[in-house]
Amino acid sequence: MTLDIKAAPADEDPYALRVGRQVAEWYRAAGIDAQVTPVSEQELFRQVLLNREFDLFVAQTPTRFERPDGLYSLLHSRFVETPGWQNPFGYSDLGANELLETQRRTTGREREEAIAQLQQAIARTQPFTVVAFPDDIRAARTDGFDGWREADLRSPTGYLSLERTGRDGPEDGPRTTATESAPADGDRSASTLRVAVTDRRGTSNLNPLAVEFRRNGVLTGLLYDSLGYVAEDGTVEPWLAESWGVDADGEAPVARVRLRADATWHDGEPLTAEDVAFTYDLLADTSLGSDGGEDASGDGSGGNGGDGSGGDGDDGLPDDEEVPSPRFQGRISLVEEARAIDDRHVEIRFVECTPGIAVRALTVPVLPKHVWSERTDTAALAGIEIGSVTDALVTNNIPPVGSGPLRFVGNTPRESLTLERFDDHFLVDAAPETLPEGVDGPPAFDRFAVRVVGSGVSAVGVVTDGEADVTGTPVGAGTVPQIGRSDDTDLIVDGRTPPYVVGYNALAAPLSNPQFRNTLARLIDRPTLVGDVFDGYARASVTPLAGTDWVPEELEWDGVDPVTPFLGSDGEVDPESAMEAFETAGYSYDDGRLVRTD
Amino acid sequence: MSLLDVVLEVVAVVGVLHLASVLVFVARDRLVDAPRTVRSTVHDARGPLVVLLVVLAVNGVVRRIGVELSWVVGANVTGVIYALEGTFVAAVQSYATPTATAYFAFVYVFGYVYLLTFPPIAYALRGDGGGLRKLLIAYGLNYGVGLVCYVLFVAYGPRNLMPELVDSLLFESWPRSQLLTSQVNENTNVFPSLHTSLAATVALVTWRERSWRRWTPIAVVLAASVVVSTMYLGIHWATDVVAGIALAAGSVVAAEWIESGRDRPAREDAGPPNDATDRDRPADTDDDRGRNEGRERHDGRASE
Repeated sequence: MTLDIKAAPADEDPYALRVGRQVAEWYRAAGIDAQVTPVSEQELFRQVLLNREFDLFVAQTPTRFERPDGLYSLLHSRFVETPGWQNPFGYSDLGANELLETQRRTTGREREEAIAQLQQAIARTQPFTVVAFPDDIRAARTDGFDGWREADLRSPTGYLSLERTGRDGPEDGPRTTATESAPADGDRSASTLRVAVTDRRGTSNLNPLAVEFRRNGVLTGLLYDSLGYVAEDGTVEPWLAESWGVDADGEAPVARVRLRADATWHDGEPLTAEDVAFTYDLLADTSLGSDGGEDASGDGSGGNGGDGSGGDGDDGLPDDEEVPSPRFQGRISLVEEARAIDDRHVEIRFVECTPGIAVRALTVPVLPKHVWSERTDTAALAGIEIGSVTDALVTNNIPPVGSGPLRFVGNTPRESLTLERFDDHFLVDAAPETLPEGVDGPPAFDRFAVRVVGSGVSAVGVVTDGEADVTGTPVGAGTVPQIGRSDDTDLIVDGRTPPYVVGYNALAAPLSNPQFRNTLARLIDRPTLVGDVFDGYARASVTPLAGTDWVPEELEWDGVDPVTPFLGSDGEVDPESAMEAFETAGYSYDDGRLVRTD
Repeated sequence: MSLLDVVLEVVAVVGVLHLASVLVFVARDRLVDAPRTVRSTVHDARGPLVVLLVVLAVNGVVRRIGVELSWVVGANVTGVIYALEGTFVAAVQSYATPTATAYFAFVYVFGYVYLLTFPPIAYALRGDGGGLRKLLIAYGLNYGVGLVCYVLFVAYGPRNLMPELVDSLLFESWPRSQLLTSQVNENTNVFPSLHTSLAATVALVTWRERSWRRWTPIAVVLAASVVVSTMYLGIHWATDVVAGIALAAGSVVAAEWIESGRDRPAREDAGPPNDATDRDRPADTDDDRGRNEGRERHDGRASE
């Protein structure tokens, strides 16, 4: 039996490949012929999330699961045929489906119970193995900007909450920078926030819908506003929306959203409710039915590309004519219909769910109709084999026209990207009390300059040399001494991170067998990984909801794995126990190597 | 320190080395004649020079789009290489000392650039048109074949595949150097090692051009150091190095063959680029020390 583990190489991800290699070693100790294949992250996402060409992969999930409903799109079997971070594992478990649905519909004790049971089910059936929640480690210079420790640099608002320290400009921080005229290029370095990243994808693609190009969406989040944003406590608060009211009288809530006055696109066009309604239509079906005619003429059979099994179970999503956005399908699945009432008001009807969950759908980026309505044609692209794909999904979207606090200035693909403050944004002259939490006003910088470097070590070097203000992608724990040695550079360690997971392709034997996956999970010794790979800068866990209030006592990590205890000790697999476990699971050994019994 | 600073540093250091080398290795009377000889020698070698420049330009473009293309059409051979040689590079690194790291880092960046650029200058100054042509043709073949391999094979180096065993010694000891190396290469382009093949090419051409004795040991030692540095610094696999040496041998043999057939038609040297000349892979790994062996093999295969 051979298993291939895909992971991004060390230059791009400080931990994934090392986790993969250690796991492969444990697998080999148990008689499984396991190997690790390094794949660039863009390619990894393409192979795993779009084409499902993998056995196992190691990666950090794009978002934290502060809210349990995040698991709905990650694990519900209705998303098995869906690309993106919608059930990339191909996991289907009727029990889990039921619990995922229950938690959407219920509140209080009932919901709590469903979520606890759900986590138990996940831990037993292992669609993926939660490895650990790593600390987000970065180097940041304090001579230009401040507020690094509080800022969540995995989210756009983190960058917007930074403050200026008087490098040479006026002392009194961000408020004054708003009214200053734009500086001539280069002569006011103090007002440029310089970010060194190891992820070059953002320099050649700024399409918020392109799943293989986005990690956490910070860049597109700065370029595109959403109606609401996820606040520190996990609730959704108004952003581009001035306010909303949710009517929950029926089973399916309805939201009436009022947009901020005078919202404008970066190209000067007014942003209206029409754009918002258009966005929801587009994300649900990026072809907007425009290629429906063609497909219909082919009797529907032509569009039935995939494996002939497309479409079943997609309740509410009629078959192949629809090409939803893989990156937002979880949230879009909450929306039944969005309709512009007048220029500033949108009515959004949701599917049956509780209002607190429904508003998650308000966090998708709002797109300009006058740009994106041109992108609904079917695109042909090598490497993507999932039915039809539209221009909207594959355009690199440069230059982007958003409405966000920053706008595009220029880029050199694979090398650099420059954004600048958008002075018509609501952050610039809104009254402070109406501003979102943590953000006091417009950005503390006039320009935002992203520069790509080869690895975390280089990124830290560029920061300690004074050539950049912060590492825009997390660097590994191995760079901590390097950061510590530098005087003007602070070590920023943030524990609010998504977990690293080992994902299994549950659509292919033997990984389709939950008992087999459960046994594989028992070959992973989390404390060893936390100590050796993460240098202690991580926390072990068995549930993706670790760190939230939703973890039942039985699943709390207290030094040992409560569900899938390690088949060995001190990071050494005990081959005998492993053999026994796999034999119990119905597999057998031939000359020390695991084989399938059939 | 920015990329520009790194580039300037390399230019400055290599410039000084060139200056010193010209004084040491090029006879004074040659220097007096230089203005005349250089012109005619370079003019004589313009064919290979143009071809090389074209290959380099194509290289520059294809390296960028080639990475994407490579993921589509290429084979990810990292696992195959690892299966072949395992943790050999980690074993090499187990001998690391700060002095050795400093030496090999210097050799990898400065020594390599110097090794590749000084011989053409010296050939031009010495009026050795044949040597210059041969070298330029061999360079062009190296880059051409290398480029094709980079599209066909996706491979990450040992520092990327087994970061827990192999340190990125170059980038850790001198982080800024990565600003330079990531400009000129992609981390998926390690098979074969062009550092190895080009350095070995210089050593081979020097060795076979018997006219230039004092430079030969320098070239051989420096080339050997470059070859070792690629593994010592965790950038290349031993497999890349073996392939690089094979590519060098093939390129030099082909260049000599092209040159030997040059007698009559004057400007036919645009020759067939990147043919399958790297097939005769030597069995021994570190064969740039096994000079005689190399000699025999090449003599055996060479044209006449």
